[in-house]
Amino acid sequence: MRGIPPKAPLALIIALTVALGACGGGEEGGTDEAVESDTGTTPTGDGDAPSPATEDADGATTAPEEADTGAAGPRPETLVVDKSFDLATADPGRQFEVTGTIVGVALYDTLLTFEDADVSTPVPHLAESFEANDDATEFTFTLRDDVVFADGSALEADDVAFSLNRVRNLKGNGSFLMDGVTAEAVDERTVVLRAEQPTPQLPRILPNPTLGILNADLVRENGGTDAEDAAEADTAEEFLNTQSAGTGPYVLEQFDTTTETILAANPDYWGEPPVYDRVVLRNVEAATQALNVQSAQSSIVLDLAADQLGQLRGDPSLDVVEEASPNIWFLFANANPEISDVTSNPDFREAVRYGLDYDAILELAGDGAVRVPGIIPNVFLGALGEQEAPQRDVDRATAAVERLGGDVTVELEYPSDFTANGLNFGPVAERVQATLAEVGITVELTPAPIATALETYRAGEEQMGLWLWAPDYPDPADYLVFGAGGIVGLRAGWPAGSDPELEAVMEEVATTVDDAEREPLFEEFQRQMNERGVMFPLFQPTASVVARTDVGPVQFHPAWTIDLEAVGR
Amino acid sequence: MLSRFVARRFAAAVALAFGVVLVAFLLTNLVPGDPAAANLGQRAIEDPDAVAAFRRQYGLDQPLPVQFGRYLTNLLTGDLGRSQQTNRPVRTDLAEFGPASAELALTATAISLVLGIGLGTLAAVRRDGPIDQALRVVSLGGVSVPLFWLALIALYLLSFRLSLFPGAGRLGPGAPRPPSVTGMYTVDAALAGDWATFRSALGHVLLPAMVLAAYTIGLLTRFTRSSVLEVLGNDYVRAAHAKGLPVRLVVRRHVMRAALVPIITVVGTAFASLLAGTVLVEQIFSWPGIGSYAYRSATTLDLPAIMGVSLFVALVYIFVNFVVDVLYGVIDPRIRAS
Repeated sequence: MRGIPPKAPLALIIALTVALGACGGGEEGGTDEAVESDTGTTPTGDGDAPSPATEDADGATTAPEEADTGAAGPRPETLVVDKSFDLATADPGRQFEVTGTIVGVALYDTLLTFEDADVSTPVPHLAESFEANDDATEFTFTLRDDVVFADGSALEADDVAFSLNRVRNLKGNGSFLMDGVTAEAVDERTVVLRAEQPTPQLPRILPNPTLGILNADLVRENGGTDAEDAAEADTAEEFLNTQSAGTGPYVLEQFDTTTETILAANPDYWGEPPVYDRVVLRNVEAATQALNVQSAQSSIVLDLAADQLGQLRGDPSLDVVEEASPNIWFLFANANPEISDVTSNPDFREAVRYGLDYDAILELAGDGAVRVPGIIPNVFLGALGEQEAPQRDVDRATAAVERLGGDVTVELEYPSDFTANGLNFGPVAERVQATLAEVGITVELTPAPIATALETYRAGEEQMGLWLWAPDYPDPADYLVFGAGGIVGLRAGWPAGSDPELEAVMEEVATTVDDAEREPLFEEFQRQMNERGVMFPLFQPTASVVARTDVGPVQFHPAWTIDLEAVGR
Repeated sequence: MLSRFVARRFAAAVALAFGVVLVAFLLTNLVPGDPAAANLGQRAIEDPDAVAAFRRQYGLDQPLPVQFGRYLTNLLTGDLGRSQQTNRPVRTDLAEFGPASAELALTATAISLVLGIGLGTLAAVRRDGPIDQALRVVSLGGVSVPLFWLALIALYLLSFRLSLFPGAGRLGPGAPRPPSVTGMYTVDAALAGDWATFRSALGHVLLPAMVLAAYTIGLLTRFTRSSVLEVLGNDYVRAAHAKGLPVRLVVRRHVMRAALVPIITVVGTAFASLLAGTVLVEQIFSWPGIGSYAYRSATTLDLPAIMGVSLFVALVYIFVNFVVDVLYGVIDPRIRAS
């Protein structure tokens, strides 16, 4: 039998290849593709910042001033940032996710802020000045008089009171920030925040983008309310997902929780205008981000794992910024004897504390990662010095296991499908298992999807748990939850009354106002936790920002990952 | 007769859709997890007011039978509930993500049909020759290679290294979307006469579609080969050859028509498998389709979204099966007569 010539399939393949060539990435790969957009860029107004790139009549891009770092090439006109989205909303009062925070900082200003990446000292932002009473229950803010919203209306005290009270009454993820705090507009430029109990941490809470200030009149017109029934009655989210209503350096051009969210420079911004006129924040998985930044299809990527960073460090076209994240990875041993006779025994805690090989575990967390000596991260007030970290002592741990009867077996639960800072929980749990096996503790790993693992964790039903804590605000008061009776303490079966000495310190520090007095108290809190507590802080993982050098200077921000307004400055 | 056939099919579809909704509802509620715990933050979950507000907002404060009854009642009016992850009506989400996946799956199907049937036929006609041997290896590779790995390699080689394709996403970063008619960017851009966007959209869909098609190309090549081989041995084909008809004519007129019936069955099954494959491919290529939506819904125990996706996929299956049944009749008159 004669065969047919293979021309037909070959012709198809050739046709397909031609089509690929026509549609391929050659001419449109890279961030220049964004220039095709006619959605418009806006002038950045007056100011000392480098002027943005402009497009001449022939469509050629003119570079703005070179970045101070001696950037390799012309600065791209549009900043393309890749992030694995956890974006839920553009309503600042309802958002409390990492991506939402990045967007929130760009769209909404807050009363106070953190300059550069220094989260130790809040500085005035929309407030011109502020003062607190002696017991930190009343804070008075005087507003700047030169701030306008994107629609041109002036910022007034009513906008601040409305925005902050709305957050509290929405009963959302960020409502706890305003727990027990009421905002009142005294006159057009004065706002008073009154707290039910001493809240010395409030100045460090107020820079949180969830507390971004909205144009109250505009939001009210579109269904917003700050009334007590705001959780049901407020319907402004839909509006705020289409149009921003803030005073921030950017305005919302397009909001999409799954593909890309686009920000355009606010032409009436009251502060120093941002370097980039337009920012495209794209939802891209970490595996793809590395390829995108290397091929210049993205300007900045934010989710690379430690092993991916290693491959990029030698690339001269990239700036790889690696720092210790303020996230804390920790273990706990449940103190509730109904959950486990073993883990609730103080000897078991001693065996774990001195049996863990902290350095071996740290190896997994990347080059920028650091060991955390106490439960408070190294960038916050009250963090312990490295020398105070518990050190491995195999003999002491083995002796503790022998007091338990030897060869104990416990279960360790962790989320199996969750990645943070490019790090999976599985390898860390396996390393914990291996190091504790060396002192006679058999750890049975019981991974579970995060949706189900959270259930048992929050119900206090895990014998041992491996979790992380991302700071809600950069103040050590956020870490009192790890003590006996705190929300994490309760998840570890450690109710109030379990450790009166520790709880006395917690009580005292919660009502101490002066940072100089708070610092030693927080240190004491952690020393006692390290001595008798049920928590075992492991490390702060690597946080990374990888940017193309032509973007200009970029910084990792411990509170909101990246400040888009400051990129290139 | 046709109306009875359609009526029977429609009744079966309704029953199947109800079954899917019921099973999805029961299974999702059997999972030992709490949607409030999965969606609220570490502080909010400890606040009874916040938890109560969340449960009230999504109707989770009602007993399960009441929740299911409400869902069915709303379903009759086309209301699929509100997604907890996007806080939008599930219907809106499906209308946005469905066309994105459809564009990907239809492109992959077109590539699979052309290459799978073409190469399978070629392999059969050149039975046991070097081309046949080579195609066996290729088809075996297609059905064996892990999709996730293939997607990464394809992106690295064809986009990053060789710049044959643009990167991930449906369009370039920040590029304006075409006016929405079908939700499929290639079609919408063509309808709007915006050929620059059309080229961009086509360029972006081709690579993930080819990756997605790898499995079905392998499958179709193998099935087509065996199906064509079976027909090639028939007397009427030998007679056609004996009459001196050109081989291409014999294959096109006499062989393919008879060989297509089992192939069509495989195409139906393969299209369904494409939908499953979109979960991984959409993640790698940042493609905002049903697969990504389903994944996020499952990880956040977003019940309305899970049920919406289940219903959507079930309806797609039903529709594809219906089309396959109709095609049987079109291709083979004996089936039509029976």
